[in-house]
Amino acid sequence: MAEPRSSSRRMLMAFFAFFFAFFYTGSSTAQVPVVLWSSEGLPALAPPAAGHIVSTDQLTAYLTSAFGSGPRTVLLFLQDKLSKDDFTVFGGVFGNKQDSAFQNLEAALQSSSSSVTLPAFEWSGSSAIPALLQEELGVSPLLVDPDTLSHLSINSSASNLLLFNLPYCTSVHKSCKEVLHDNDEVIGKVLTIMKAKKIPYTAVYTGSQPSRVISETSMSNQPAGRSLLQAVVPDVKAPIMFNGTGGPCIMLWAQNLSISLSSTAAWIDLAAETPTMTGSMCNSTNSLLVLNYASGYVLSFNMIQRFYSVSARNWFTLESVQLQSNGVTASFSGRRAIYAPAEYSYHCQTVSSIGDALLVQNSTNVNASQWRLNFVDFQIQGFSLANGTNFSYASDCAGFFTAGIWMGLLTSLLMLLIFVYGLHMIMQLNTMDRFDDPKGPSISVPQSE
Amino acid sequence: MLLECMMNGHAILYTGVTLAFWSTILIVGICYTIFDLGFRFDVAWFLTETSPFMWACLGIGLAISLSVVGAAWGIYITGSSIIGGGVKAPRIKTKNLVSIIFCEAVAIYGIIMAIVISNMAERFTGTTPETIGAKNYQAGYSMFGAGLTVGFSNLFCGICVGIVGSGAALADAQNASLFVKILIVEIFGSAIGLFGVIVAILQTSKVKMGD
Repeated sequence: MAEPRSSSRRMLMAFFAFFFAFFYTGSSTAQVPVVLWSSEGLPALAPPAAGHIVSTDQLTAYLTSAFGSGPRTVLLFLQDKLSKDDFTVFGGVFGNKQDSAFQNLEAALQSSSSSVTLPAFEWSGSSAIPALLQEELGVSPLLVDPDTLSHLSINSSASNLLLFNLPYCTSVHKSCKEVLHDNDEVIGKVLTIMKAKKIPYTAVYTGSQPSRVISETSMSNQPAGRSLLQAVVPDVKAPIMFNGTGGPCIMLWAQNLSISLSSTAAWIDLAAETPTMTGSMCNSTNSLLVLNYASGYVLSFNMIQRFYSVSARNWFTLESVQLQSNGVTASFSGRRAIYAPAEYSYHCQTVSSIGDALLVQNSTNVNASQWRLNFVDFQIQGFSLANGTNFSYASDCAGFFTAGIWMGLLTSLLMLLIFVYGLHMIMQLNTMDRFDDPKGPSISVPQSE
Repeated sequence: MLLECMMNGHAILYTGVTLAFWSTILIVGICYTIFDLGFRFDVAWFLTETSPFMWACLGIGLAISLSVVGAAWGIYITGSSIIGGGVKAPRIKTKNLVSIIFCEAVAIYGIIMAIVISNMAERFTGTTPETIGAKNYQAGYSMFGAGLTVGFSNLFCGICVGIVGSGAALADAQNASLFVKILIVEIFGSAIGLFGVIVAILQTSKVKMGD
């Protein structure tokens, strides 16, 4: 007896668990729960998978197998409306078992020898289940209520279908819970009467329509795939490379190589054109890159590499940048500011002869005195290109701290030091306690003059 | 046991700050060395890129402020002794004001030098090391050095005169004949402030800031 009870208890738990789980699935298909239990045996039915809606055919097949053997008395408790949400709300499933409105139902399920719960049965009409049972048993339903049942004599050798109509919560005088509790009382009473009459029965508890229909929004409108949000990275143009003996010797890359022939003339971006490199050369100490443009300009970069004894390493400098146009040549010296260790490349965001000029014009040609250069995002390397077609580490013109930051840090840290020193001195001033005498009389300051 | 040694909250704070500072320096230095970026530690860049005006103004500020600290410290030390000794021996009051005057002289030296140095600061046009020119850099550094010289000299001179003056006041309170002898010690102490002023004048004698 313990085993069937524990299995019934487990089925009861599964019953409520299924109802609870189904609360979240929601379906636009109308469905009602169907609970069957019997005082004699019911064939075993595998619990339906979560979300599975049992179709009419499946239930028909099952009932055929259940009712096939001999006459049966079926008690159909048909509630006006029933959904699995009613069990969730009123079934005391949140640890408050004493508040359950289905206590007799639970007791019946537990004590019956077999029971079947279908959390979702496809609802196709309010008289679907009675019609189905009528078809299975071959008798028409008899409308009964508990009072008439006690006086009714039931012939257990023939099939009987007794229909009990139970109301749902429509009355304004009673709360929903009370209505369901009353229905449960009816079920309990009926089962007691049947037990007293010692008639084997099969009971079905269901609703003639669902009480709640949760409509489901179709998810098919949204695209199911994922798309990357990252913007398309534009392709970077290749650097200008001059090949000496055995691989690239000089490399130059710039976003803009803008020149202007007077202070009012428009900027011409030479980086948009493709140059030829006739006249370029490179050896161990000198690198010269000459860019001949079709528009008539010639831009050349001269770099030299030397060993400096104080730092004991080789450094290269961009000695001069020369611009030639219509026979006039202007020379700009980058010697002071454009330098890097010879193993590395030099990079600077702005290399220009205007503003914060890294290139200083040192040609004496009067015609070219107003010429200006402005290279944006400029990177150059003239030596130690062992890395194939990649620049070496870029020694950037911008350091971590600028000169201004250093000046500010120096001054403010000095003042902070002075402040901390003074604060320390003040904080170690103590009240004099040499002449304190805790046992002596306390000082009295007379109020009168 | 460590807690007993470090009972003083100030000691913990100073130790913590010093540790943080030196460990930052050490770790940054190690990283620069490992990655062969030691060439970016460029003292010459720092000295040529920072403005000579900053150095000049730091010198002027330190000249006056350190001198005043020295004078104030000395007066505080002497003054408390004179006041304390004067309770029992009121005769010492007037004579010992001379010690206060010696301390005050140190502050006078400081302000005179600050004014002299600040008069040398002139405008120059030039933004790159070449256009600024060597003379302006020399001017900036000289003014900084002079300010530092006079400031620290006066600081220690003031403290020295103050402590000696305090001793003089208390000795005078005991025995009036002692005062004159101790005053000689004070004069020697006061001379060192003057040395600082002389050297600072020499440092700024060749300063010529401007274009």
